[in-house]
Amino acid sequence: MRIVIAEDDALLRAGLTHLLRAEGMEVTSAVDNPTDLLAAIAADRPDVAVVDVRMPPTFRDEGLRAAVEARRRQPGLAVLVLSAHVEDSYATELLADGAGGVGYLLKERVGKVADFLEALERVAGGGTAMDPEVVAQLLVRRRSDDPLLSLTPREREVLALMAEGHSNATIAGLLVVSDGAVHKHIGNIFSKLGLPTTDGRHRRVLAVLAYLKA
Amino acid sequence: MTHPTAGQPRPRLRELKFLAVGAGTGLVSWFVLAGLILSVAPVVTLPLLPRTARAARRLAAFERRRTGEFLGTPIAPPQPLDGDDIGAVLTSPDMRRDVSWLTLQATLGTLAGLVAVSAPAGVVQNVVIAALWPYLPEVTTTLNHPVESWGDATLALATAAAYGTVGALLIPTLARWYARISAVRLAPRRISLAERLAEVTATRAAALEAHGTELRRIERNLHDGTQNRLVAVVMHLGMVERALHRDPESALPMVLTAQNAATDALSELREVVRSIYPPVLIDRGLPGAVSALVSHCAIPATYEARDLPRAPAAVEAAAYFVVAEALTNAVKHSGARQITVVLHADDGLLTVEVTDDGQGGADETLGTGLLGIERRVAAFDGTTLLHSPLGGPTVLRAAIPLGV
Repeated sequence: MRIVIAEDDALLRAGLTHLLRAEGMEVTSAVDNPTDLLAAIAADRPDVAVVDVRMPPTFRDEGLRAAVEARRRQPGLAVLVLSAHVEDSYATELLADGAGGVGYLLKERVGKVADFLEALERVAGGGTAMDPEVVAQLLVRRRSDDPLLSLTPREREVLALMAEGHSNATIAGLLVVSDGAVHKHIGNIFSKLGLPTTDGRHRRVLAVLAYLKA
Repeated sequence: MTHPTAGQPRPRLRELKFLAVGAGTGLVSWFVLAGLILSVAPVVTLPLLPRTARAARRLAAFERRRTGEFLGTPIAPPQPLDGDDIGAVLTSPDMRRDVSWLTLQATLGTLAGLVAVSAPAGVVQNVVIAALWPYLPEVTTTLNHPVESWGDATLALATAAAYGTVGALLIPTLARWYARISAVRLAPRRISLAERLAEVTATRAAALEAHGTELRRIERNLHDGTQNRLVAVVMHLGMVERALHRDPESALPMVLTAQNAATDALSELREVVRSIYPPVLIDRGLPGAVSALVSHCAIPATYEARDLPRAPAAVEAAAYFVVAEALTNAVKHSGARQITVVLHADDGLLTVEVTDDGQGGADETLGTGLLGIERRVAAFDGTTLLHSPLGGPTVLRAAIPLGV
């Protein structure tokens, strides 16, 4: 997997590069600002770009804006955005183009290396990886007549994991239930929320996220 | 009548002096008034106005101090003139006030002074005439009475006495009366409630802005510093975990990196706490806290604090931070052998000045320390000035409004 890293903190940039290379990934460029990121993406044609939200010159959301811009220039480019704090509106911006291949995680998730690599692969494969904190934010801001309230606790758990981007098999593993049980929960969730059932895992997740951020 | 006390001029002499010097000021006022008129009337000379206006200010300041001392109650100065903006000077209400005072001083001030001086002058002149009339042909008293005999001389003495009596009775009253009417025009004009409100609104907006800048600074320090360090700890521990399965030998450098990152996180956290409000300020106040800083400095340093009033906690914290950071910079980069720290307050500004005799060449674009100082001071609407020629000495001066 070919990866471009954009992170302005030198220690984190070097650490992330080291980590990914040790796992057999190919880090083609590691840059520290949005301009170099766009140039590196154009030159390296990576499978995925790992981007810090806050970067020079103003240290606001330059990285996020560069990621959105990179996907505009190169449709289908997978982007995994990392940040020290998460904001559901940022996730909304990343998902705005309706295409997959988007991840938005807290930086410290990198520490659980296996999970991080799994998320990275999901994003590179056109899937999504939303931080549990983002999903939690999306799930709380609801009105009183919300169909979400009609979900059972277990269905809410499944919905949250699905929104994070996990596959049925992973969800089943995490909740220690059978694949069939997960499939059944998902069917119930979709009918309770009035969502059309779609085939294709990624499209299904996007539909859920679109519903949650509406 | 008050009794003169030792070391204080006799009251009447004091009053006489006040009026006599006032006559001098009055004469100078004529020139300043003429200067103002010449600066304004021909229009093309308008660029000279700020200079003549400042001359008027200086003259008024001289009289303000004298009159304040004479009356025993200091007179507050008006707002200083803003730079060289001719329009602002022309339309300033303080300018009209200056002109009104100059006119008073040029006319009544001069007249009162001359009247006052004429009394002792009359005494001296008539006494001299009484004593020396035989040698002075066709001499008259100051009241035009010819002095041709010792009888006339006695009359001259009586005239001298009359001058002295009238003077003694008149001068104190005249001096007090004039000092009072002059003080009214020398005092700053009363600020209207609307103007005061505008001033308060502006100050409040500036304070809120400063607070916002301060919050952003703290957020930035935590977000880009401490949080990133802790992410590095977690990331390297993750790598250690993977390495332990694969190749335990390779884990050691990552453990050390994680440990260093955790140590950095702690020291940055301590730094943030200190930058929010240094604990020592609570214990010892600004002078004591800075004194402690100076005594711990690796380079010999002297410290002087002049007339420091209590400042708002945030301002004291900023001043402390400037000194701490400037000392750290000097120790790290200057190669100095002696550092001087001076704290003083005037004109509503708390000024911090740190001077070292090192090699100079300090540049705010190079050191994050200097940048930190600038940011910190700017948050309180203050200014930072760095003068550091190659070869030194380096002077860092930060001025922060006391905000009171």
